[in-house]
Amino acid sequence: MKDFNYEVVVVGSGAGGAMAAYTLAKAGHKVLMLEAGRDYDPKTETPMFKTNAQAPLMGAGNVDKDFGFYDATVDGGWTVPNEPYTTGEKSDFMWWRARMLGGRTNHWGRYSLRFSEHDFKGKTRDGLGADWPFEYDELAPWYDKTEALVGICGTNTGLDDMPDSGEGILQPPPKARVPELLVAAAAKKLGIASAPMHRAVLTRPKDDRQACFYATPCGHGCSIGAAFQTTTSLIPMAKATGNLKIITDAMVRSVDVDKSGKVNALTYVDKKTGNDIQLSAKVIILAASACESARLLLNSKNEHHPHGLANSSLQVGKNLMDSTGTGLGAHIPALENRPIYNEDGHTANHLFIPWWGHKQHAKGELDFPRGYHFEINSGFSAPGSGVSGNLQGYGKELKEQAKKYYGAGVYLSLRGEMLPNKNCYMEIDDKVKDKWGIPVVKFHWQWAEHELKQVEHGLKTAKAILENMGATFSQPLPNAEKAILKGGQIIHEVGSTRMGASAKDSVTNQYGQTWDCKNVFVMDAGVFASNPHKNCTLTIMTLAMRNATWLAAQLSSGEL
Amino acid sequence: MAKLIKTEDQLKYQSTMTRRESLKWLGVLSASALLPSIIGCEINDKTVSVASTTGNAVKGHWPALKLTPISAKGYGKDPSMIIPPKSAWPKTLTAEQLTLVAVLADILVPRDGDVPSATEVNVPDVVDEWVSSPYASQQKDRLTILSALAWFDEEAKLRFGHSFINLSVQQQLEIIDDIAYQKDDLTAEFEQINKAFSRLRKLVLAAFFCSPEGTKDLGYLGNVAIAGDYPGPTDEAMLHLNQVLDELGLSL
Repeated sequence: MKDFNYEVVVVGSGAGGAMAAYTLAKAGHKVLMLEAGRDYDPKTETPMFKTNAQAPLMGAGNVDKDFGFYDATVDGGWTVPNEPYTTGEKSDFMWWRARMLGGRTNHWGRYSLRFSEHDFKGKTRDGLGADWPFEYDELAPWYDKTEALVGICGTNTGLDDMPDSGEGILQPPPKARVPELLVAAAAKKLGIASAPMHRAVLTRPKDDRQACFYATPCGHGCSIGAAFQTTTSLIPMAKATGNLKIITDAMVRSVDVDKSGKVNALTYVDKKTGNDIQLSAKVIILAASACESARLLLNSKNEHHPHGLANSSLQVGKNLMDSTGTGLGAHIPALENRPIYNEDGHTANHLFIPWWGHKQHAKGELDFPRGYHFEINSGFSAPGSGVSGNLQGYGKELKEQAKKYYGAGVYLSLRGEMLPNKNCYMEIDDKVKDKWGIPVVKFHWQWAEHELKQVEHGLKTAKAILENMGATFSQPLPNAEKAILKGGQIIHEVGSTRMGASAKDSVTNQYGQTWDCKNVFVMDAGVFASNPHKNCTLTIMTLAMRNATWLAAQLSSGEL
Repeated sequence: MAKLIKTEDQLKYQSTMTRRESLKWLGVLSASALLPSIIGCEINDKTVSVASTTGNAVKGHWPALKLTPISAKGYGKDPSMIIPPKSAWPKTLTAEQLTLVAVLADILVPRDGDVPSATEVNVPDVVDEWVSSPYASQQKDRLTILSALAWFDEEAKLRFGHSFINLSVQQQLEIIDDIAYQKDDLTAEFEQINKAFSRLRKLVLAAFFCSPEGTKDLGYLGNVAIAGDYPGPTDEAMLHLNQVLDELGLSL
């Protein structure tokens, strides 16, 4: 990189890193991006139109491909070979990683819901967790810009949990399907509204990307660029400016300082040779994912920064949050043998149930503090390794049963907001190193009463909705402690380098600039002060665009 | 098309395979003739007691198989998804086991007019790939399914003096009828085979529906590119939904 005079080094090529790099490159600043995984090209590597029959084990998931054979994740999943993590006593935590250009944006769910006014000032409202250092109004125009760039389908609903986008920003959503309409009707009877899901899937062409053709699950990746991933959008667009260069297979080991304690370099392992390479760096943006960025800061200890870099507040690794997750499904007799049509759609929710309880919260009618939403899983899905229904017998009657059950199941998935608590955090396990000799992360996790109460409420509500659809339940609902998924399992981990208004209790200011090191920024979900139930990626990108724009101005003015 | 063929009074499952695979297959067949226990499967215990629901010991039999764990490697964390591995690990069922799987698969999913049977769309090969794979849940299924296969032969011999594939269809169905239904009066001796058979049933059905012919039979209409907007439900589907809403007292 001798001939490339970069101003900023970005660590990570996922949602935050790619948006930061794109924003800076567009503003005329030269950016060097480091990615721990291999190069990846969705145009040539995505298994479009492949059937499960063409995959080993009918596409079923396993330790090699946790989400099924065709999941886009490369060299990752719940485990990364020779790069372990550990957990503390009585702590269950699962950490999803990808080792590929574009990171987890290659397979994500593409659900793209804005946080709302309630979400930025939760502590002011109920005294719990932490406030963000700004209001919704500050972020609203950046959401518009991000949505316009990324391409989001959906509609403005006017619901209090779903702030409107600017006029003309959203692309039209696809039509709702039969089971979703039935769920919406069943929820309506309880006074609960449904709404078109907002998704980072193009329903109209944009830039070099085509509109969705409503086939091939987005989790496989998208060779036509309809489903947003940085590898078909921000990264090629940033490269086209001539201001972005990328080094893949570069696992960053440490952020380094000069004699005065000022950050001036970083060291990465070239995974192809195993050699350490030090790069000088004027400004560094960490966007390696919430827990990798926090790990890197904690591993970058030196005499000037004895608790790890940018950790004078001792908050690095603390305040770790995921979304709560659970769900309830049922067989819906009324949907048996219904007329078959192509229900692939854009291969995920066309409708969902947004959080409806802000007014109940305000009146103090709920025994848990924060909201959740339901995603609706249903439909005539592509045949795979599983067949649903309690099937009996054999022969003609067996096939008839299977066909009767086909498309007659509905599963409601809860995704909710958790609050930070002192038992949920990550630190460095000083006894275990990965294959590169880098000390690994140790997770500590314990759900609190808030989350369990929320899950209990959600299961009861899901049951009521399903019962309105004619479902019957022979078993009582599981208790919340059993039903709640593990920490990390929803893959919405945030908060480990949170932003705030004060250097005393936060790691960065409102621009993701670390309080302790002015030339080190965090632009992944680590900076989240809270973890609203609305899925983190859209807000990661929105913050990265806003904060990289601020950084660009700092660079141009000579402030940095 | 794959099929069950009868040669010299011997029923045999014949897969549809490429020439290279067939050569490999022939190799396995000749080797298995020399080494009956090539898969490391041996039946240790012909009869065991199983506890009945009332707590009394009931005479039944369940093969205690000692299986050599599959030592093959998986396909790893970065397999090509464009050209998936054709055969990611060696298949392990013997010709006899494969034939029994084929007979059972065709009892589960027989030919139905123009719709082929499970065996005709290579379901036994998929079952073989499944039980031969090194992953945890498949290894668990391997024990279940291989035990079920051994049970069918034991039961056939106890009842009729022949292995299962050599019984008449009527005799085969007599056994199947006893074990293929979850019912209150399911005899305790059949509880284990009922569960194991359920697993095989779902695996066979899944493999059948995954095949192009099975997918068509199921009725799945997706995985085709649509030009323009997603059309949504058909008129017929909406008509049905409206009836359902009426019946449930719901409205959109």
